[in-house]
Amino acid sequence: MFLEAAKIYNFIKRDALSFSTYKTNLLLMMLGSFFGALSYSYLGENATMQIVLDEYKMPLVTYLITGVAFSTFIGQSLISVHQAINPWTLEEILVSPTRLSTYIIGSSAWGYILSASNVFVYLCVGLLAFKMQLAINLFETLLVLALGVGTFFGISMIGAGVQLIIKRGDPVTWLMGSLISLFGNVFFPPQVMPSYLSTISYVLPHYYFFTAIRLALTGRSWPTVWPYILTLALMCALTLCAGYLLFCLCLRKVRMDGTLSWF
Amino acid sequence: MAEDSILTTDLTKIFQSRPSILRIRGSQERKNRVIKAVDRVNLRIRKGEVFGLLGPNGAGKTTLIKLLCTLLIPDYGSAFVNNFDVRKESAKVKESIGTLFSLGERGFYWRLSAFRNLEFYAATYKIPRRERKERIEQVLARVGLERFSTCRFQELSGGMKRKLALARALLPDPPVLLLDEPTLQLDPQSSRALRTFIRDDLSKKQDKTVLYTTHFIEEAGQVCHRVGIINHGKVVACGTPEQVRKMVQRNRIIELKVRNLSHTQIRNLERLAFISNLEVNLEDSSQSLFKLNFEISRMEEFAQVLSCILNEKTELTALRQVEPSLEDAFLQLTESKEDL
Repeated sequence: MFLEAAKIYNFIKRDALSFSTYKTNLLLMMLGSFFGALSYSYLGENATMQIVLDEYKMPLVTYLITGVAFSTFIGQSLISVHQAINPWTLEEILVSPTRLSTYIIGSSAWGYILSASNVFVYLCVGLLAFKMQLAINLFETLLVLALGVGTFFGISMIGAGVQLIIKRGDPVTWLMGSLISLFGNVFFPPQVMPSYLSTISYVLPHYYFFTAIRLALTGRSWPTVWPYILTLALMCALTLCAGYLLFCLCLRKVRMDGTLSWF
Repeated sequence: MAEDSILTTDLTKIFQSRPSILRIRGSQERKNRVIKAVDRVNLRIRKGEVFGLLGPNGAGKTTLIKLLCTLLIPDYGSAFVNNFDVRKESAKVKESIGTLFSLGERGFYWRLSAFRNLEFYAATYKIPRRERKERIEQVLARVGLERFSTCRFQELSGGMKRKLALARALLPDPPVLLLDEPTLQLDPQSSRALRTFIRDDLSKKQDKTVLYTTHFIEEAGQVCHRVGIINHGKVVACGTPEQVRKMVQRNRIIELKVRNLSHTQIRNLERLAFISNLEVNLEDSSQSLFKLNFEISRMEEFAQVLSCILNEKTELTALRQVEPSLEDAFLQLTESKEDL
């Protein structure tokens, strides 16, 4: 276990060293987050959406900033396994005594660190410049974050498994990524949509993740948050198991077919 | 079994390719194509042996390497590497091997230095942290890249990238090395240094087993204790380079040098039915010296050849029986199979 953790550290070190050679990119990424945070903060401060106040008991600026900031985590989770399955590197790792799970977690870990820095910029802008009100329940926040990352990581494994077979154009990740802006509860709550559309939101993990993270960040009590956490936990268990199983099956199939490096 | 580092029994890998949904007009490609990339291969490679696998493009060399390193799953048959089953004990197999793929340099990180790249792979090979630096410096020195350890991978030349891929294969200090065309992109000096290193250092001193694929035939003859010729997935010949050369020596190839040979004598020679592949070249016009090459099946026929060309004017200056090269053997063994 310790050895696998040490290996993950080396994956992070590799990606950090590689990333540090792109200095302009780092600067542009931070500036992009800063301007994004400013835009959403101004929008949130000068617009009203009554349903947000009624349902979530928070101003629109808090709703928007928390949604957009944490959507980077979800986006990162959705692409994490795809990024890791570069066929050439995958071949080299598969012939080394490194577990596949270590490789996938290690290869995506740096992406999460970058996403965390993005969240930090968003929250700093919201808190310092726009008096966004947060009362962070750290335990609940970390729990929701872990469950959300796990859920979307599982979906990413399903998508990556499909991509191993069809090589390009993964419909699973595409669908999940496309649904986020309309049904994801990031920019507006599903309650504003007609009921036949909002129903779609309630079957997607996005809704439960963003609702739970907002409630945890604004210090809601456990009885308010736990139904969302429970649903998310069930989705997390389901997608992680299905994702791991499907990815391993697809990997076995391409090893049988001899098409691992055909991209 | 104890002394066999690699053992395969009826190892078979079949690939199926589906036709494209966009079919070119007139194309015959309608059905699934079934290719036996590796066809009932039986190999026994001893510990400390350098074994060369020779074959034309698409013969199945890389597929065989990928089966042995567990990247591909065999359809039939069995394979053991360092006494571990590639199907059931893949983790143990991976701990026993160092691999160099023909496009192995693509697995590196282009923005990182040679040292940092090897440091990352050292971690994946479970090399303890305190030993990593020393081990990396050792393998970089072995492949002649010690002066380039701080250079980014993208700054290295094609040959240097190849050397770095070899250094990565050596990094875990494995008992078995699977090298797929290791001298590809190397300059002649580096290529020779690598062959010497494989034979003298890896095999003789360190008793490592090396499976070495190439289509540079003479290179294999120099470095390998034994060679196998693979064509259409089948091993069509296996033995020492000398044994493989002799496998194709059905006819005797004779080379003669004759002075003052007349055109009539050459025509008489051409009329001899038992002679094949006759070549006549004027080697030195000032001395009217001709070089003749031909093949005969029995030595008795040689007397008739001599009676055709020798008289009081002609003079036989040289005579030798030409041994077929490993390249001749390779071409004959792979061409004949292609005709089938």
